[in-house]
Formats: sequence, structure tokens, C-alpha cells
Amino acid sequence: MPKHSAWPLHEGQAGSIVEEEKEGPMNVAVTPEKRDASTDGAPAILIEHARKIYGRASGNRRDAVADVSVSVSRGAIHGLLGPNGAGKTTTLKMLLGLVRPTGGRFELLGMDARKPGARARVGFLPEQPYFPQQLTALEAMTLYGKLTGLSASDIAEQAASLLSRVGLEGSEKALLSKFSRGMLQRLGLAQALLGSPEVLVLDEPASGLDPVGQRDVRNLMLSLKDEGKTVLLSSHQLSEVETVSDEVTILHLGRVAARGHIDDLLNVSGQTSIRAVGDGELPQAVSAVMSDLAATGSTVVFSVQDADARTAVEALYNGGWKIVQLQPKRASLEDYFAALLESHRADAGSNSQGEEGVQ
Amino acid sequence: MNKLFAISQAVITDAIRRKVVWAVVVFAALMSIAIPALPSYGVGIVDGVFRQVAIALMWVAALIVALALAATRLPVEIERRTVFNVVARDVRRWQYVVGTWLGMFVVLGLVLVAFTVAAIAVGWVSYSRPMFLLFEATFAVWLEIGIIMAFTVMLSTLFGPVTSVVGGLVLAFVGHGVVSFLHLSELERAPAWFPSLDVFNVINPVALGGGVSWVYLVAMVIAFCGWVSLFMFGGSLMFAGRDL
Repeated sequence: MPKHSAWPLHEGQAGSIVEEEKEGPMNVAVTPEKRDASTDGAPAILIEHARKIYGRASGNRRDAVADVSVSVSRGAIHGLLGPNGAGKTTTLKMLLGLVRPTGGRFELLGMDARKPGARARVGFLPEQPYFPQQLTALEAMTLYGKLTGLSASDIAEQAASLLSRVGLEGSEKALLSKFSRGMLQRLGLAQALLGSPEVLVLDEPASGLDPVGQRDVRNLMLSLKDEGKTVLLSSHQLSEVETVSDEVTILHLGRVAARGHIDDLLNVSGQTSIRAVGDGELPQAVSAVMSDLAATGSTVVFSVQDADARTAVEALYNGGWKIVQLQPKRASLEDYFAALLESHRADAGSNSQGEEGVQ
Repeated sequence: MNKLFAISQAVITDAIRRKVVWAVVVFAALMSIAIPALPSYGVGIVDGVFRQVAIALMWVAALIVALALAATRLPVEIERRTVFNVVARDVRRWQYVVGTWLGMFVVLGLVLVAFTVAAIAVGWVSYSRPMFLLFEATFAVWLEIGIIMAFTVMLSTLFGPVTSVVGGLVLAFVGHGVVSFLHLSELERAPAWFPSLDVFNVINPVALGGGVSWVYLVAMVIAFCGWVSLFMFGGSLMFAGRDL
């Protein structure tokens, strides 16, 4: 199995690239620390060694999910990332009983997720949600409210407030066949929030939304976190995940490629980012050690090795520059993701070359 | 049970707003107005012939509506992932299957009542006498097509609309042909317990006679419950094992 080292991670980082070669299939076991992080000992969401194989004959057999484990602490937002075909949606479907797993263990709030009762406190937004077209938004909310077990008065109260919360006020009595893609997405969010579920599983929540809608979704997720909700978020929109997630799990080819705290994954080992404002050229001492310079007007942003940070700061100060920001250098999730996939491809290429050589 | 009825209610609301359902009813009702124009009309017992043709029209219209609803509902909901919003909740899959069928069965009943009212009105205007006996036939057709609908829903949990429609049609024709196929045609009507849809064929007693007895109606209901239970059980099992 390949050993992945896509992005420079220093030792001791909480976020770690999964070393499949060293740890084998057990590498994705949930650590005791994570389990203890929840309030009552059980994580809000626990997936252990999830596996899904489609097709029985060797010709059409397809491993949609080979070995995925995810643990989400209560009150956290956890991002599930991966390219198309990585197994994100299948993993979510197995968790919610929509797809029968070939193997693995699934728990929701400490209960066996295979039992429908475990889903009583879970809200789910499927990817590109659709609804019975001849119902109105209010009728759809009433249906899902009843299925959630709410009383008529609770349904009436929550339906109105949730439709307003997702920006669908005024459209309550419109037929869903008249709804745009973005409006259906908003309704999907509203129905997922019915009953104030403790856990929310959102599959591409910002899909089909305009930039304002995407911002609203981000704000919604952050407000849900403030309310103590747990969110498992699957998304292609890396910026969205980066903004709201506490932790991420990156899937590739049905396996966990990396996981950890977003800051730990993205902090570039041993480098410091400096933002300074001033006139004229940068001091020679700074120019000699800096990299990744970006300048806008009188503001410059650049990176230096941690060991050179003190030198650079002193030189800037002595040169009359004002230092406005000093922090560990952080990559974008897009950079991290691209590097990780590139590393996987390189590993796969070298493995296939090795196999050809043996043959 | 509340969840099952909630699913049924959504199916009813969704279905009765679809134009295709009411287009079939209107077409069938217009056909009943045209019955007196039939070439052989006027021979024999005229209002009896009217009732025969009206019941036949009712059966055909009900079969079209039933197959159109039952064969498409689940496959479309699965394809569009509408089903996710239901079964990802604290809802059993059997509740979804049975609730869906129940909703469609109610819609079928509404369609049949609408058609029957139209037919009775036409008959009343034509012969100055009400033909409320037609409601007995309506009830029998409702039960029979309800069984075909349950079978079609069962198939649609695994197969697409075309296969499900073909399966429903096969049941309709085999169900009525089994008596003659097994050379049981000497029976005027097969007994209610016999696995044949002919038990629901009450055209002759309603059109030409005095209707059917209450005992026979109860026997039809028992046969209906047996068949529907069987198909709903099968459909629930098939749907429970399906990846969505």
C-alpha cells in the first residue's frame, strides 16, 4: 500500500496523513481521545470500517467504499471531502440506512444507525434534493414534520420559521414544481432542520445556490454550531468546508486519505506568514529570506522560515514598516487537496510501474 | 400509523393535482355519454346495456389510472431522490411502501366515484331513473384494481415503470383468464377464495340482475385484503433490501 505524504506535516500534528502502509486497515480506527470528546462518551457520529461493494460477479464488482472510518464529536462541524467517486455520498447513505453496508459499524448518537429510531434526532439534506412537485412548500414541510413526529402546532410554528430562516418566506404556498434549483436546495435545508435535530448530515448544502445563498448556508452552519448541533458536511466547495469545519476527513478511492483538524492540516510546517504596511522597498535582510511575496498598494504579504521570522520582523521594524499580521503560514484547503491527490496519483503510478517491472 | 397516513396524504394531494388523472376521468365520462350512440344500442334491455358498457369503461379507466400511478411513483421518487427525505427519517420502509399504495388506492376510489356519479347522471337523464346499483360495481372494480395496483407497486420497488406496467397488465389478464384456462368455466362465478380476479367481476349481476349479496361483497373484501397483504408484504421485503 502506498505511503502518502502529500503536504509537509510536522510530527505531532493532530491532523495526519494516513499511512496505510504502516497501519493497514486498522489505521482508521477511531481514537479513544475522540470518543471521550463527546459529552456522554459517545461521538455524535461514528463510522468504523465502512465498506460497500456493488455487484457480486468479478466483472461488475465495484468497491464504492473500501474502508472508511469517521468520528464526529458532538457540537462539531466535520467536513467530508474527496473527488468524485471517493465514496462520500455512499458513506453518508450507509450511515442513514439508504444503502446496506457490506461491512462496518455505524452509530448515531450512540445508537446503532441501522435502526430507524436512531435517525429520529438526525436531519438529512440529500445532494440535489427534490420533492413531490404538486405539493406546496408548506405542505411538504407539513409532511416531513409529521414524519419527524412533530405535533400539528409544532409543525405550523417550525415550518413558518424555518422557511423564513432559509429565505423562502412568501413562497410557502407556491407549488414546488415552480421552484428553482436554489429554492429547492433551501427547502431541503429547511426540512432537514425540522424537529431541531441534534445531528445534521448535509450533502452538498450549497449546491445550486448563488454566492449570496452560499454565504447564507455558511452562516447557517455556523449558527447551528453555536446552537450545539453536530454537522457532518460533504462538499466539493473547499472554501465552504474550510470556513466552517472544525475537522475534515478526506476520502480518495473509498479510503481515508487524510483527516484532522483543519488548522493542523493547513498550517504549513515551519513557515510564518507576515503582512506589513510601509513605503519603499523591503529591507535587504527581509528580501534575502522571504518567499511567496504578494504586494497590493503599500501592503505586502510574504513568508519566511520560522527561524528567520525574528530577523525579518526586526528588519521591517527598523526600516519603518508596520507589521499588521504575523501568523503560522496556512495553505488553502484547495492547495492541500490538490497536493494530496497529486501524491496519490504519483503513488499509484509508481506502484503500477513496479508491478510491470516484476511481471 | 401517523407516518403511514402522512405518506398517504402526500400521495393523494400530489396525485389529485395531476392533470393526467382527471383527463382519464373526463375522457371516460364523455365516453359514457356516447354509449347511446353505439350501433347495437336499443336492442334488448337498453339500460342494462348502458350499465354493462359503463362498468367496462370504468374498469378500463381505473386500470389506466392505477398503472399510471403505481408503476411510476416509486421509481420516479427513487430516481429523483425524493424518497431520501422520507426513509432517511425515523420511517420504516414498509410504511413508505404501504403508505404510498394506500394513498394511490384512495385516489383510485375518488376517480371511480367521480366517474360513477357522471355515469349515473347520464343514465338518469337518458332513462329518467337512477342507477345507484352501479356503485356496487364501482366497489368491486375499486377492490380489483386495488389488487393490481398493489402488485404493480410491489414490482416498482425493484423494477422500472415499463416492467411494472407490463407486470400489472399480465396480472389483470391472467387473473381473469385463469378460470377458463383451468377449465373451470362451468362455474358461474369463481368462489371468493379462489385465486382469480373473476370474483370481482360483477358486470352481469349489476347490469342485468339485482346486484350482488352482502355476503358476496364481504367475501370480496376478504379476498382483497388477502391479496393486497401478500403483495404489500412482498413489496416491503423487496424495498427493504434495496440500495437507494
